[in-house]
Amino acid sequence: MKESLMEILCDPLDKSELELEVEERDGEEIIEGRLIGTVTGEEYPIEDGIPNLLPPDMRDD
Amino acid sequence: MDAPEPRHTYDRIAEHFAVTREHPWPEVESFVADAAPVALAFDLGCGNARHAEVLTDVADRVLGLDASRGLLRTAQDRRAERGFGVDLLHGDAANLPIRPGQVGLAVYVATLHHLRPRERRIESLDELARVLAPGGRALVGVWSTTHDRFDATTGFDTTVDWTLPDGETLPRYYHIYDPTEFDEDLAASELTSFDRFQSSGNCYAVVGPASG
Repeated sequence: MKESLMEILCDPLDKSELELEVEERDGEEIIEGRLIGTVTGEEYPIEDGIPNLLPPDMRDD
Repeated sequence: MDAPEPRHTYDRIAEHFAVTREHPWPEVESFVADAAPVALAFDLGCGNARHAEVLTDVADRVLGLDASRGLLRTAQDRRAERGFGVDLLHGDAANLPIRPGQVGLAVYVATLHHLRPRERRIESLDELARVLAPGGRALVGVWSTTHDRFDATTGFDTTVDWTLPDGETLPRYYHIYDPTEFDEDLAASELTSFDRFQSSGNCYAVVGPASG
């Protein structure tokens, strides 16, 4: 995902802001990392360039 | 109904499904062709991103969201092969990870009918209303009883099998809408409806946010 998406995205649970942690980057593209809910504390992984913003209870059932 | 969640079925069938969904729907093409340029467009339930690709004609930036990781991989492939820009998000249509009032133009077709129960479908329509910008417009389309293959005249829950090339079949949950019920769900949501029409067995609505 592009870092500029941070201006558009929010926590799916309560719509509060997210914080970005980058593990792997290719130019402006973030390949691996996580988004963290600043209020909920939920962690949303960025995998293969796509942030997984499914509500946590929908992740692997 | 205990059919598996559609996102899991789509994960299994994604590659085969995507090659059978090469072309955008004409209803979407004409909706987008009539739209004024926008900063941000959104394909909700983007699948292989064929409609996100159409939205790039009129938007500076296009978001594509899907609940199936497998389908998002096909969208990544299509984006790379065809060279268009779309920001892909893995997410739930009833819990959008998008800030309010930003989307100028949206397409929400062939997706709402995979959500269950009705409360989640209405929550999802409310979420669409929330993310639409003032004056923003969306095209919502669902499979309906007007399709030739259905005898029923009132909406119902069902599963429709997908057959893989090796003959394996996988069920997909659908709520098949009747046109009156589609109107009722739109009315029960925060969306403002402007136009309704039926085409190729689908019911469509052109909608805007609560503010119109």
